[in-house]
Amino acid sequence: MSHDHGLPPKSSVSRWFLTTNHKDIGVLYLITALFFLVFGGVLALLFRLELITPGADLLGQMGYNQAVSTHGLLMVFWFISPFAFGFANYLVPLQIGADDLAFPRLNALSYWLYLFSGLLMGVSFFQGTTFAGGWTMYAPLNTPAYIPGEGLGATSVVLALIMFTAAVTLGSVNFLTTMYRMRAEGLRMRDIPIFSLSINLTVWMMLFAFAALLAALMILASDHILGTTYFQYSIDGTTMATDADNPGASLLWAHLFWFFGHPEVYIVFFPALGVMAECFQTFTGRRLVGRKWFIISMVLVAIQSFVVWMHHMFLTGINLPIKTIFMATTIGISLPFDLMVFSLIYTMAKGRVRFTTPFLFSLGALILFIIGGITGVFLGAIVLDYQFRGTYWVVAHFHYVMVAGATALFGGLYYWYPKITGKMYNERLGQIQFGVYFLGFNLLYFPMFIAWETPRRVFVYPESLQIWHSMATVGGFILGASFLLMFYNLFVSLWRGEDAGDNPWAYATSAEWAVSSPPPLENFPGVPSYATGKLEFLDDETVAERTERASGAGHGHAATDGGTAADGGAVTTRAAATATAMEPAHETAGEEHASHASFWPFLVSLGGFVTFLGLSGVRTGSVVYLSMAAIGGLVTFGSLFGMTREPFHAPEMAIAERWPFSSVEKMKLGMWTFLASDIVLFGAFIGSYAFVRVAYGWTAWHHDLIPAEHVTMPGLINTYLLLTSSFLVVLAMVAAERESKRGTVAALVGTFALGVGFLINKGLEWQHLFHIHSEAFPNGWNLSTNIASSTFYLTTGLHGAHVTIGLIICAYMAVRAWNGAYQGDDRAIEYFGLYWHFVDIVWLFLFPLFYIL
Amino acid sequence: MDWKGYTVIYVVLFAFATAQAVVEFAGLVESAYWIAFAVIMVLSVIKAVGVAAYYQHLRWEPRAVTYLVVGGTVAALALTGAAAYSIL
Repeated sequence: MSHDHGLPPKSSVSRWFLTTNHKDIGVLYLITALFFLVFGGVLALLFRLELITPGADLLGQMGYNQAVSTHGLLMVFWFISPFAFGFANYLVPLQIGADDLAFPRLNALSYWLYLFSGLLMGVSFFQGTTFAGGWTMYAPLNTPAYIPGEGLGATSVVLALIMFTAAVTLGSVNFLTTMYRMRAEGLRMRDIPIFSLSINLTVWMMLFAFAALLAALMILASDHILGTTYFQYSIDGTTMATDADNPGASLLWAHLFWFFGHPEVYIVFFPALGVMAECFQTFTGRRLVGRKWFIISMVLVAIQSFVVWMHHMFLTGINLPIKTIFMATTIGISLPFDLMVFSLIYTMAKGRVRFTTPFLFSLGALILFIIGGITGVFLGAIVLDYQFRGTYWVVAHFHYVMVAGATALFGGLYYWYPKITGKMYNERLGQIQFGVYFLGFNLLYFPMFIAWETPRRVFVYPESLQIWHSMATVGGFILGASFLLMFYNLFVSLWRGEDAGDNPWAYATSAEWAVSSPPPLENFPGVPSYATGKLEFLDDETVAERTERASGAGHGHAATDGGTAADGGAVTTRAAATATAMEPAHETAGEEHASHASFWPFLVSLGGFVTFLGLSGVRTGSVVYLSMAAIGGLVTFGSLFGMTREPFHAPEMAIAERWPFSSVEKMKLGMWTFLASDIVLFGAFIGSYAFVRVAYGWTAWHHDLIPAEHVTMPGLINTYLLLTSSFLVVLAMVAAERESKRGTVAALVGTFALGVGFLINKGLEWQHLFHIHSEAFPNGWNLSTNIASSTFYLTTGLHGAHVTIGLIICAYMAVRAWNGAYQGDDRAIEYFGLYWHFVDIVWLFLFPLFYIL
Repeated sequence: MDWKGYTVIYVVLFAFATAQAVVEFAGLVESAYWIAFAVIMVLSVIKAVGVAAYYQHLRWEPRAVTYLVVGGTVAALALTGAAAYSIL
C-alpha cells in the first residue's frame, strides 16, 4: 500500500529522507532527540569529572565553559522539546482522529531544519571554539568583541538557534492548524486526550515565545555579522570601554531572552505533564480527578507564563515596583500547579495502581517536580533570590524541574513503545532502569542543594564542598549508566520483544490504542467520528451522506462543537466501503490520494545549513565562507521553488470538528497563525527599539544620534507606495472574483511595481545616509555608527526583507494569473494579501517611529 | 466588499498618512512633542485597524481570528511596555 503513495518501505533508507508522514517524522524526532541527549549528556559527564576537584585541570578553562554552555543549549533546545514533539508528531493526529498533520511537507521541513540546526551546533566546535558564554547567552558576552578568538563558532551557534527557532515556528503553525481543523467529528477541544491538550497549549506558548527569541537571535546575529551594536557598548576607537551611547544593551537581551525563557520552562514541561496524566489515568484505571480544573489550570499557566519573566532579573537594575509585581505573578503561577499536582495525587489515591515502568517514571517525575517546584518558590521571592541567584541552588532547582519533565517523557517512551514498534519491552529491565535512574538523578542533583554556595558556571569552588561535588559526579555516571539499560532494552526488544497487540495496557482509552501497532500509513480503517459519543470509523458512504447533509444545511462541514465526545472509549467499525462508494467522498475524505513523500524539505534544510555555515564566517571575507553562503542560498531558494511546483495533495477532512475556526480554511488559518507569530517578531523588534531609546532618553535620542539628513519625506513616499500596493491587492481579488484575467494581472503587476519602487526608494535613502559628511557624523551614518542607526537599519531592513519575500510571491502569482490562474477563485490572492497587508501595517508603525518621532 | 468600498478605505488611509506628516511639517513635534506623539500614534492605530478589518477581512472572519491577532499584539505590547517601565 505504501508504494501507492510514492513512499518506499521502512527498511529502505530513502524512505526516511522522503517521508512526510507524521508517524515517520515522529520516530525521526525521537531518535534524533535521543542522539542529542547523548551528546549533551557526555558533555555533562565531562564537566562533572572536571568538578571532582575545585580547579580546571581536565578540560581547561575554555573547554569547561564550552562544555557547560553547549550542554545547556543542547538539552534545552535540541533534546527535551524535540523529544516531546516526537511523541506529539506520532500521537496527536492519532489521538484527535486526523490522518496526518495539516501541512505534511511543512512538518518534514520542521524536522530537517531541526536536525541540520543541531548539526550546525556540532560543526561550531570545529570553528576554533564554540559558544562559551552560558546557555542564557547574556550580553555583552554574546557579542564578538567579548568572545575570544574569531568567534565564528559562536556565530554558528546563534545561527543554529535561528534555524531551530524557524523549525519550531513552522511546527507551531502546523500543530495549531491541525488541532483546530482536523479533529474527528464530535470531538470537542475540551475532550481531546490530555496529552494532545498539553501539546495544544505548548504550541500556543511556542508560537509567541519563540517569536521573541527569534527577534533576539536575529538582532544578535546582526551584531555578529552586520556590525550593528544592539548588545555591545559603544565603540570608542579600538576599545569598548564605555556604555555611553547604549545603556540598555545588557538589559535588552535579558528582557528578550527571558520573555521567551520563562514560557520555555512550561513549553518543556507541559508535554511531560500530558504524559504523566495519560500514564496516571491508564495505570490507576481512573479518569483524571478534576480533569476540567486540571485543564483550566494548564490554560492559566500558559497565559501567566508570559508575565513572570522578570523574576530572572531580580539582580539587575530594574526598578523595585516592577520586581514586586513580578514576584507576585511568579508566586501566583505556582497555584495552578498545586492544583495539577493534587489532581495527579488524588487520581492515584482513588485508583488501583499498577507499577509498570511508564507509571514508575511518571510517579518519579511528579516527586522530582514537587521538589523542583518548592525550591523554585524560593527564587521567586526577591530577598531570597538576592542570595540564591547565580548559585548551585538555581542549578539544582531547574534540573529538578526540567529533568523531571524529561523523566516523564522517558515514561512516555516506554508507554508508547509498544504502539510505535508493535513490540513489548522487557518490563523487569525497565523497572530496574527506573531504580538506577532515580538513584542517579537524586545523587547527582540533591547534593547541589547542600553545596548551593558553589558559584554557578564556575569550575572553582570551596574545598569544603568537594564531597558534595564528588557525590554529584558519581550520581551523574549512575544516571548515565541507566540510559545504557534503556537503550539496550528498547533496542533488543525490537527483535526479541513479544508482539504488543493493538492495546497492551488495560484502561488505555485514547484513540491511538484503537488501531494496530504500529498504525497503518493512513491511521484509521475509516473516517473517525465521536458523533455518537464513542469512537466509530465511518465508511465513505456515510461520510458522503453527512457531507451532503452538512452542505445542504449551508455549512459545508460539521461545524458545531457539540455532542458528548469521549476521551477515547469503545470502538465500533461501520460496514466497510463497498464498490459503490462515491468518488467525491474519496476525494474530500482524502483516504485514497493523500501524498506522503517529498524530497524538497530535506533539500531546503540542507541549503539552509550550508547558507548559515557560510554566513557564520562572511565577516572574515573568506572566499570559502562567502561561496558557501551563496551556494547554500541558491540551493535553498531553488528547493523552495521546487517544493512550490511539486504536486502534493494534503486534503482537508470531509467532516471534522473545527471550533472555533469552522469557516476558516486551513491555508488561511495557517497564514493567520503565522502572522500572529510575526506580530510578536516585529513587536519584539519595535519593543527593542523603544527599550533602548527609553534607556538612552526618549527625546534626546533624536537630537543626539540621528543626523539632520534623515528626513520624513522618503518614509512618507514609501507609505504612499505601500498603501497603494495594498489597495491593488484587494483590487486583484475583486478582478479574480469577476474572472477578469486582465484586471487580475494588471493589479498584481501594479503591486509588484510599487513594491519594487518601495525598495528602490529605500535603497536610495540608505545610500544617502551611509555617505553623509556632517560635523556630527563625519563618516556617514551606517549600521555601526550608533544604537539609533542600528535600530533604524535593522528594523526597516527586516521589514524590507518581508517586502522582498512578498515580491517574489507576487511575481510568481502574476505569472500564474497571466496563464489563467485564480479566475473565479480568489483564495490564493487573499492569502497572499493577508501577508502583504500585514507588511503594510508594520510599516504604518515604522514610519512614524523611525521618521517622525 | 466591492471595489468602491475598498477605494474609500484607501482614500482614508492615504489622508491619515498625509496628516501624520503634516503634524511634523507644522512643527508640532518640536513644539509639543508628546501631543504630536499621541496624535501620530493614534492615527497609525486607526490605519492599522482599518487595513486589518477591511483589507484583511477580519470583520467578516470568526471572532476567534481577531482574538488570535489580538493575542500576538498583547504579547508584544506586554514585552514592550513592561520592559520599558522596568527602567523608568
